[in-house]
Amino acid sequence: MSKEIGVYICECGPNIKDRIDIDQAIEEISSQDEVKYVKRFPLLCSNDGKKFLEEEIKKEEPTHIVIAACSPREHEQTFMSVCEQAGFNPYLFQLVNIREQCAWMIPDKEEATSKAITYIRAGIRRVGLHRPLEKKEIESNPDVLVIGGGIAGLETSLSLAGKDRQVYLVEKKASLGGMSAKLSQLIPPQGLDVSLISAKIDEALNHSNIDVMTSSEVIDIRGFLGNFQASIHREEETSEIRKIKVGAIVVATGFRLYDPKTDSSYGGDVDNVITALELEEMAASGKVQLADGKPPQSVALINCVGRKERGYCSTACCVYSIKLAHYFRDHLSDVDVTNLYVDLCLPHKSDQAYFEEAKKKNVRFIRADEDVKIGQKGDRVEIIYNTDGKSNSLVVDMAILAPAMLPAEGTAELAEMLNVPLDKTGFFKEVHEILNPVATPIEGVYIAGCALGPKNIPESVVQSQATAGKILSSLVPGEKIVPEVKVAEIREEFCTGCQTCLSVCFYGAISFDAVKGISVVNEAICRGCGSCVGSCPSGAIRSKHFTYPQLYREVVEALR
Amino acid sequence: MEKRKVLVIGAGLAGMKASLLLANAGVDVCLVEKESYIGGQTIKFEEVYPNMECATCMVSPIQQDVLQNNNIELFMLSELEKVTGEAGKFQVKISKKARYVNLVNCIGCGACYEPCPVELDNEFEEGLSKKKAIAVPCAGALPNVPAIDPENCLRLNGKKKDCKACQEACVFDAIDFTEKDEKLDLEVAAILVATGFDVFDESSLTQYGYGKFPNVYSAMEFERLYAQNGPTEGQLILRDDKKLKSIGIIHCVGRQEQGYCSGVCCMYSAKFAHFLKHKVPKAEIHEFYTDLCIPGKSYQRFYEETLRKGVNFVHFEDIRVGAHNGGLRINYTDGNGKENSTQTDMVILSPAMIPGKNTEQLAEILGITLDKQGFFSTQNEQLSPVTTDKEGIFVTGCAEGPKDIPDSIAQAEAAVGKILVSLT
Amino acid sequence: MDTEFKPNIVGFLCNWCSYAGADLAGSSKMEIEPSLSVIRVMCSSRINSNLVLASHLWGADGVLIAGCHPGDCHYEKGNYYARRRFALLKKIIDILDLEPDRLQLSWISASEGKRYSEVVNTFTEEISEAGPNPLAHNPKL
Repeated sequence: MSKEIGVYICECGPNIKDRIDIDQAIEEISSQDEVKYVKRFPLLCSNDGKKFLEEEIKKEEPTHIVIAACSPREHEQTFMSVCEQAGFNPYLFQLVNIREQCAWMIPDKEEATSKAITYIRAGIRRVGLHRPLEKKEIESNPDVLVIGGGIAGLETSLSLAGKDRQVYLVEKKASLGGMSAKLSQLIPPQGLDVSLISAKIDEALNHSNIDVMTSSEVIDIRGFLGNFQASIHREEETSEIRKIKVGAIVVATGFRLYDPKTDSSYGGDVDNVITALELEEMAASGKVQLADGKPPQSVALINCVGRKERGYCSTACCVYSIKLAHYFRDHLSDVDVTNLYVDLCLPHKSDQAYFEEAKKKNVRFIRADEDVKIGQKGDRVEIIYNTDGKSNSLVVDMAILAPAMLPAEGTAELAEMLNVPLDKTGFFKEVHEILNPVATPIEGVYIAGCALGPKNIPESVVQSQATAGKILSSLVPGEKIVPEVKVAEIREEFCTGCQTCLSVCFYGAISFDAVKGISVVNEAICRGCGSCVGSCPSGAIRSKHFTYPQLYREVVEALR
Repeated sequence: MEKRKVLVIGAGLAGMKASLLLANAGVDVCLVEKESYIGGQTIKFEEVYPNMECATCMVSPIQQDVLQNNNIELFMLSELEKVTGEAGKFQVKISKKARYVNLVNCIGCGACYEPCPVELDNEFEEGLSKKKAIAVPCAGALPNVPAIDPENCLRLNGKKKDCKACQEACVFDAIDFTEKDEKLDLEVAAILVATGFDVFDESSLTQYGYGKFPNVYSAMEFERLYAQNGPTEGQLILRDDKKLKSIGIIHCVGRQEQGYCSGVCCMYSAKFAHFLKHKVPKAEIHEFYTDLCIPGKSYQRFYEETLRKGVNFVHFEDIRVGAHNGGLRINYTDGNGKENSTQTDMVILSPAMIPGKNTEQLAEILGITLDKQGFFSTQNEQLSPVTTDKEGIFVTGCAEGPKDIPDSIAQAEAAVGKILVSLT
Repeated sequence: MDTEFKPNIVGFLCNWCSYAGADLAGSSKMEIEPSLSVIRVMCSSRINSNLVLASHLWGADGVLIAGCHPGDCHYEKGNYYARRRFALLKKIIDILDLEPDRLQLSWISASEGKRYSEVVNTFTEEISEAGPNPLAHNPKL
């Protein structure tokens, strides 16, 4: 097909007009092969300019269009929309930057003009090789699989389930609630209590759009955004595997606690040295007592247990230790309470006031370093700690340890199944720590709560609601997904099956077809970065819109 | 189905992210921003912790998306004036100040700045540089269209009614002195408050010497000194310019007064130390803190890297900044009550995050309450931190309370989830 | 040292950071040597060895690869791959008897307009001193 390329040069007021000899450019470019015409216009991005372009496209019917104006980062979208309006394939258009990177940088008019001409020529040569790419639409399933029935999983499920969207809530234990169900009370300031958790559990169990599967585990996941298939195995039914189809997956597998018994400095098997969770369970049952059945007269709450080994702060412990201190002062008023801490981590707006209240209740807060030694002293517990280099001893009836939060069991296996990365600490890794804290590189797979890292209940709840927000926005019942157009594709005949492309794809958009022995690009989730294209040794994988021939053309013109 | 409309107040990171997510769901967003630019506070930073990532690189694609999104109608120099009605049908009145520069015609060439005869302190640059009465806050600000300050513009404030220096320099017909402040009436189904935070006024506490000693800087001032697009292009040129041999960074400024820990200062103070170690490798850096707040799986690692760079972290109980020997002296008492001091050439103060200036006023207009710390109150701080007790009104980001960027964004996404459900 | 020699440099800039930085340099009206021609790619990892080598073989006096600072890549890891490839390419062009300094890699963020101008101007100066590409061989294309 012969090409008839329409070229438009924008004057951009004086910005390009005064700094580039547009007439000279028009003269030189008009004679270039395949150029149908070269026209100029005062301001193409203005309403008049856009109207002019639309009319031009309809009138002149060029096969390709080059606009020489400002940066594509500024107006590529604008002009692509004009193309679409005019019924012209927007991918057969190229915006050449002769303003920011030419007119504005080069003070000498002659040199600027020469550069502009080079760039426009390059754009013309390049655009001739553009393909008329089309947007695709992919069917998607609005249903969601939530893995983990703790507070994060419950919150996510309840936020998402509705008459047009089914939620499958898979929990490996026999009951819902996770760690939070073991708590005796939650953190104020609203004076919440665990009945709120059981209310959520009841709501989930009775919700007509939440399919709760307890004593179940996910054993296989395939597919991609909008089109996942998951296989779920129920403990009781050894041979039966349930297969479900969903559009998105939320991982809310929570955490497990560091076992202080692995480090003898925390007292090992000494009587009356317990973890905060064990205390919560005792308090929930209504009876806090020592091993011999008597109530404690003095307790010590010890923070940062296992912190040194793990290398991170578990976020929730300072505040929940303060909560436990309050508990003791409120329920066993004679008990002497000491809280040994390293640094008070009180990141939420009401936390510090909560701490001050505990001080007013005569809870003793002692700043110490991480190294504590817990041992037996008679029938009591001795804690040797250091403050500013000085060694001290505290003898109490009961020591309550706040252990570090660790990734839940099975995290690594689940990560592999989902093809999502883990971070150095073993928790799931979010795709962008700052801008995208609940998403993974795999589109459609989200993570919420402590599965992502230690945090407290309000943060887990927010993250759960955040995953719901993202899914509600992107997976709308009845609507299709429109993925990126400028993706990569593989020419089967050249692919040697080396899988280099697969290994560099951050988004898991490439899979290996073992039967054919070649790699396959999933265009639905490819982001078009070109990492695979840059790494392919045989050139089998190519960009749809930043092809080698296109880039070579630009290089050739630059070097002419 | 009729297209639903949501009002988002504040075009900082939380507001922008929420707007984009709502727009993506097919909702019409009316995004109201009081400044003449979008991006909130984050665009003042050069880098963000814990990976020392370039803040502008991170935020500018989001700003561009907001500016180019067809479902987002952006009103800058605008504030909420009145709200009546109820969830699903709020009648809102927006008061929009005139920009005097046409957003469509202006292409951001900047030809109008030089001829303007008026120079004033640049608030965005924390007063560290000047700008003209017609200006953008800094290079790279988006949208790249200036606004005219009517109080300082000689023509608009009546001091020189025939001045049109900027208009004469503009060839795009973008300057319009006849533009008027407007009032807009809209009907929206829900309102999201994402008005962010302000920073504790360091000058209110005399013990830090802020405003008294030239080389005592606030964190925000330091962020601008550090920024490549800032008043010194990232060069550490101090008010009292001298060789930097020792620098002190004091955390927790205003913590006692406000009654809470802001949760971000320890980390950004460590960020400052990383930058300083790179910029002035031979300088001693001392960080003074009361409690190290470094929660989560990655922040402690960043702190430990900071320690490995030789930064000295010192716990204090009380602290004051004084002048000594031509420089500054930080006097503090340690955990044992012992008095100590450190000589420095520069002090950076890390202040508390406080509720935004207009919080009280906005709460009244919306008919929602404030919590004990002065931030917008939510239904349940633990389990419902984005819903207020007024149906249809949501709050997110630092408007709800001090938090870091990832938490603000997660909260913005959570708020969108709640809003989308409320709209069905 | 040929004072008439005007270097011809090809620059591959990634869309998200370095291209934006270059735009900022332009918007800030910084003066930049016209020696460099910019070719935009989405990510610095898109640039494979052939592109760089072809550029050199076809007469580029210098080749610049510019991307986001490590850790800031819009696609998370792309610039790390570019960096590895660059290290390999330096060795290859050395084998071709081309001065390795004719290939440069720079991390330029979206806010570093000034840095972009410094990188380009300095590179131009260095190439001017080094002289024209000894391998220059322009095929008819």
